[in-house]
Amino acid sequence: MGLILIALLLPGLVGATLILLSHRVGSRTAVGVALLATLGALTATVAAVATHARIDRPWAGEIGLGWIFESDMISAPLLVLTAGISVLVVLHGLRHAPTGGTPGLYYGLLLLIEFGALSTFWTRDLIVFFIAFEIVLVPMWVLIHRFGDDHDPAARRAAALRFVLYTALGSSIMLAGILAIVTQVGSSDMRAILAAPPQHSQMLIATLLVLGLGVKVPLWPVHSWLPPAHTIAPTAGSVLLAAILLKMGTYGLIRVPLTLTPDGFARIAPLLATLGVVGIIWGGLICLVERDLKRLIAYSSVAHMGFVALALGTNSELGLRAALIANLAHGVISALLFFVVGSLKERWGSVDLAVVRPALRETWPGLGFAVMVGLAASLGLPGLAGFWGEFLAIAAAWNPAGGGTALAVAQSQVSGGSWVVWAAEGAVSTELAFRGLAIVAALGAVLAAAYSLRVAKVIWMGDAAPRDRAGDLSWVELVIVAALILAILALGLFPYAVLPSPSGPAVLS
Amino acid sequence: MIADLVTIDAWVLAPVLAPALGALLVLVLDVLAPKARGSHLPLSLIALGAGLGALPYAVTADSPARTLCLPAPQGRCLYEVEPWGLGLQLIILAGALIVLLMLGPGTRQLDDVQRGGPAVTVSLVLAATAGAAMLPATRDLPTWLVAIELATLPAIALVALSRGRGAEGGALSLLMVSLTSFALLAIGIALWVLATGDATFSADTVRAAVEDTDRHRVLLLSILFLLAGVGFKLSAVPFHTWTPQAFAVADEAISAYLATVSKAAALGGAIVLLSPLVVLTGAGSDDGFSIRLVIGVLALASMTLGNLVALRAEDPLRLLAWSTIAQAGWVLAPLAMLTSISVAAATGYLLVYAVGSLAVFAVAAAVHSGAEGAGERRLTAYAGLARRAPLLALVLGLGLLTLAGLPPAVVGVVAKVVALGPVVDAGLWWLVGAMIVNIVLGIAVYLRWLLVVIRPADPEAGLTRLRLDPGLRVAIALAGLAVVLLSVAPGLVFGLVR
Repeated sequence: MGLILIALLLPGLVGATLILLSHRVGSRTAVGVALLATLGALTATVAAVATHARIDRPWAGEIGLGWIFESDMISAPLLVLTAGISVLVVLHGLRHAPTGGTPGLYYGLLLLIEFGALSTFWTRDLIVFFIAFEIVLVPMWVLIHRFGDDHDPAARRAAALRFVLYTALGSSIMLAGILAIVTQVGSSDMRAILAAPPQHSQMLIATLLVLGLGVKVPLWPVHSWLPPAHTIAPTAGSVLLAAILLKMGTYGLIRVPLTLTPDGFARIAPLLATLGVVGIIWGGLICLVERDLKRLIAYSSVAHMGFVALALGTNSELGLRAALIANLAHGVISALLFFVVGSLKERWGSVDLAVVRPALRETWPGLGFAVMVGLAASLGLPGLAGFWGEFLAIAAAWNPAGGGTALAVAQSQVSGGSWVVWAAEGAVSTELAFRGLAIVAALGAVLAAAYSLRVAKVIWMGDAAPRDRAGDLSWVELVIVAALILAILALGLFPYAVLPSPSGPAVLS
Repeated sequence: MIADLVTIDAWVLAPVLAPALGALLVLVLDVLAPKARGSHLPLSLIALGAGLGALPYAVTADSPARTLCLPAPQGRCLYEVEPWGLGLQLIILAGALIVLLMLGPGTRQLDDVQRGGPAVTVSLVLAATAGAAMLPATRDLPTWLVAIELATLPAIALVALSRGRGAEGGALSLLMVSLTSFALLAIGIALWVLATGDATFSADTVRAAVEDTDRHRVLLLSILFLLAGVGFKLSAVPFHTWTPQAFAVADEAISAYLATVSKAAALGGAIVLLSPLVVLTGAGSDDGFSIRLVIGVLALASMTLGNLVALRAEDPLRLLAWSTIAQAGWVLAPLAMLTSISVAAATGYLLVYAVGSLAVFAVAAAVHSGAEGAGERRLTAYAGLARRAPLLALVLGLGLLTLAGLPPAVVGVVAKVVALGPVVDAGLWWLVGAMIVNIVLGIAVYLRWLLVVIRPADPEAGLTRLRLDPGLRVAIALAGLAVVLLSVAPGLVFGLVR
């Protein structure tokens, strides 16, 4: 229990203190303290996950809220991802000093975002889940607003506000769904709800939950907050958004509607899958013509999260695994790409693909290599992280009923081993439609290859004559890029390391 | 002799008696020693402190704590403090205390904003507070009406005495609205007595009245009149028009009083009125449906109109006036469900709203008094506050986020959750939808202000240090601490009222 508290309070309290004292803290102190806090949080998180630490005590017992924190195979990888990416994001500030506000404010905001994400992944109380979900909003708003791209203040303000309002709308809709569950069951403890799931209007509840969480994922057609936010945000903000905040949406989809309102979710799952596939194609087509590299990667996020939605929409065990691994893979790949593109933007001043520039492979081979690894992983090259999620998602859609139900895995995690057998009656009545979705999604994967190669051609090959060979990866960038590339390789080669144990007999029965 | 007729428990009555006595003492002192300007504030603080100190007595007594009980055959008590009433009395007394600290009677600051001298101002605040504290505990119609007027008329006088431009106009509009509301309430009460044959808010007589067709109709009409009358006090749409006018002419402290103490009193009055109607709202009852519909529509209109107009306001007090209209909708929405949980939800929401508002008003008073050319109030005066006065900006930010319902002001989020719960439970999805939209609208309203606060300061604009009155400092500190404390332990406020 102490470990979880350390992992949560270290970023939370240190972040708040840095913000409060932001006018007294120098740049070196701020980054040093923040780095220590994130490293401490990472250590505590890994230790807590490894030892299955848990907290279970009332908080605001009068209104039935509890501090219930526990990790399982669904949340553990995301917890480690969050803590790890946070370290890298703070590290990134060592060489690339923030502009737009004091360093104390900047690092404080990063730490608060980490605090919010960790609480979201850790809690088992639905209302606390909602509160934790909201914690990241204000820090991210300030981060985009104060530290974002300083070319156009009006666009910056608009992007920041759009981010807050869109995601607040989403989470408010989710809140309505959560309250519908809580008022029916009379408890906000996920274990209690699992034991006695809501009996009435599951369809409505699941729809509210999927719609609300879909904004955060983001699901087509409620994705339009994402490209401006990604484009305007500072590098650290883009990385946090892509690698962590979007994961809160998909994690919520698994944790709440899929697990707690299974009947309702089963009925709207085909819609979720369809929206996911539309997102894959939509994002892919835009990426083919987009000129701003940062915005292009943002749209590719829409496509990748579309695969996660498709996988979840199959409502099968294989689909759930695909979603979990695709989620994680997108976390590390998008982090790598946003870090590298941020570095390029810093060096070039803009990342407009229409500007003819010298070939990266000749001027800065280190950066060039990192870009190529990111793009290769992003297009789903086997052996790298991106492959498994998309491959399994398409496989799951091709044969949606195969391999047991997603619910069995998800529920077993919450209830701690007691299997809830759930008959997938009519869950997927339209096998043919799912095969169609699988084919379209596969086409989307081809689009991904096309736009990745387009980017590679423009920036790696280049056309202009090389000028200045100095200024390749700094040591900070080297550390970050190396860590992420290692993670991409590890996920690509040993995907089963992070999946819910495949050996559980009930899963495959 | 009197003890034979009614029982009197002075401890239960203390939250009402203490401010009333305080008001009297202040006036007497002013007659005896007109020069002792510095003594009014301590005296009034002691009176309010005594009222607050007596509240735990009602907690430890049987729930509800009763007094003024009639002898055996009828046995009805005319003064009852239920948990929600206790919560309202707490915020009424505490709110009045913070408002008095903001006014700073006895200092030059008060003379700058109020006419009539410290004794008059203090006694008016205390008198209105006594009426406000009385209202949630009343159980009979005449006392209820008297308490409403006692809570209102001194507040009107406070607006009339403020030195803002057009204060008389603002007070006049407030007075006209009040008189209209009084007329509506008087008619409503007459109809109520006609329908039930009883001058108390009793569920039994209401049930009897419902069974007779004619009396049933009269009762519904009476409820409509009474709701409209209370709607004025709550500043719910369409009875809200006085609010922006009064806020625009009064200064921050008086506006804070109207926004928090008066609103808490109004909610108390509304709950007292609605409590016996719970019997009307049983399953399959048309009445329950109609009352829900009426209050729900009022709530929807209030929150939507309030937020939309607040989005365009440039004067911070005008913004707060429209925001208080929107928040009235948030208080009404759960109340419309007419269950004991929804009463607790509305009360809890109001408590949180009042704490957040007090923080915002207190900082607004500080910024306004420190600004150059104190005549005009504009949002732009807050530019760079985060750099000029980080602590003020912190308290303001926490207050605004409490009203918006966003972390780190966790208590604001919990309040939104608690307010939405009964509506979801009742399955009123159209109202749920409107509330969701208004969460987003509200965030836009308050973040717009916060945006100015965190904006880098204009290098030419006044970087002068704000000089704050000590009372105002204490008020800001108290409100800020309350938000922080409640955010760590939101159970405190919501546990209190149920």
